[in-house]
Amino acid sequence: MKLQHYLGGLEGLGPLTIETRVFVEEWETRIFGIHTAMMALSPQLSLPATPSAFHTVWTWADLRKGAEAMNPFDYFKYRYYEKWLGGISGYFVANGYITEEELEARTAEYLGDPDKPLPRGGSPEIDRRVERYLEEGDSPHRDLAVPVEFREGDQVRVRNVPTLEHTRLPGFLRDRNGTVVTVYPGAYGYLTDTGADGIGAPMAVYCVRFDPQDLWPGNTEPNLSLYADLYAAYVAEPTAELAAPSGDASA
Amino acid sequence: MTDRFHHPSDREARSAARAKALESLLIEKGIITDRTVDTVLKVFETKMGPFNGAKIVARAWADPAFKRRLVEDTPAAIAEMAGMNDLPAGMAGAEGEHMRAVANGEGVHNLVICTLCSCYPWPVLGLPPYWYKDPTFRSRAAREPRAVLKEFGLDVPETVEVRIWDSSAQIRWFVVPERPAGTDGMSETELAALVTPEAMMGVAVSKAG
Repeated sequence: MKLQHYLGGLEGLGPLTIETRVFVEEWETRIFGIHTAMMALSPQLSLPATPSAFHTVWTWADLRKGAEAMNPFDYFKYRYYEKWLGGISGYFVANGYITEEELEARTAEYLGDPDKPLPRGGSPEIDRRVERYLEEGDSPHRDLAVPVEFREGDQVRVRNVPTLEHTRLPGFLRDRNGTVVTVYPGAYGYLTDTGADGIGAPMAVYCVRFDPQDLWPGNTEPNLSLYADLYAAYVAEPTAELAAPSGDASA
Repeated sequence: MTDRFHHPSDREARSAARAKALESLLIEKGIITDRTVDTVLKVFETKMGPFNGAKIVARAWADPAFKRRLVEDTPAAIAEMAGMNDLPAGMAGAEGEHMRAVANGEGVHNLVICTLCSCYPWPVLGLPPYWYKDPTFRSRAAREPRAVLKEFGLDVPETVEVRIWDSSAQIRWFVVPERPAGTDGMSETELAALVTPEAMMGVAVSKAG
């Protein structure tokens, strides 16, 4: 199991760091821009082809997988965009676009002369596609008839699926009981196939309400509701023991 | 002793040089252009940002019927504003394909979190602030939201239900805070100036002046 899948509810972390800036260092804006361009240029999107040499798939799932694969101590050690910088530069090396030696040598050049200008050039079609991606997005909604097993008001149990590298199931919900509050219309794919974890192909998505007293008995606050959007693969019939409403029966 | 959490003294300079080296190599190799990163950043300064969310909330404060439509069918209400040229194009763009607004009031306070990563409604709120992405916030807000809100300076009494929305699938949630007292007669532009990203994620409330 990966700690990163089980962050919700983790105890003992101490006070918050309330930093309201989006970027705390100028360089963070650059890695954010690179990531967004990669998503926009990723070849599975139905956007106009460009002369960009980028030919491999890059989505949020790749970025998330990288962060979830980290040593959990490093996950806490490094700031948000430091993790992005590590994951994204590693991707370009692993996919043969650049070598680690090239990156190290160029890094040394810019360390010695931080103001040395960037190279020039590139086709404007690339930037037009990036703008178009931001404006149009990449909806996972599919107009497909898929099985919808549950209705609003139904009690459901969250499956404890065998996740390996990546999931969209918050760990603290596994094996817990909740109530469907919304069945989202249509079907929703996910950016990648998560294998035995179960998502990827278009399927129903439910908004499920949980009572935090069921999630963390005696160790949470009163008068709370926690809602999570859960792909159908993560949701099952309640077992007999869990079928009886727990906590506030009127909820 | 462990040096597990040690950072070198040139931590930021090294990251800055590495990010610039990467951008430079990607330009040279024809993957992106010398303007690509600036193009992305400009979109977040001019088209996608919390300035849109603030306008939407201000409209909801000024027009209760719009607020009902916003909560019942968020994309349609936002498209309605965009159709009147009150919002830029692209409000259903990247990370805004499926947005839903939840409204505070009547004994309910909403809080949006993402325990798995940092899902955030880009077109209306732009990019997430650091506090939202922080593992400590993401861990604690799920189990002890009132304690977390207190650290933000917000007291939510136990008589008010706290609804926590964990952004784990396609929906990107945002909060319509309550209209603050003392704002009667304010224009939508004046109202929008009172709406912060923090209020639209539920870790703050809006205040007059």
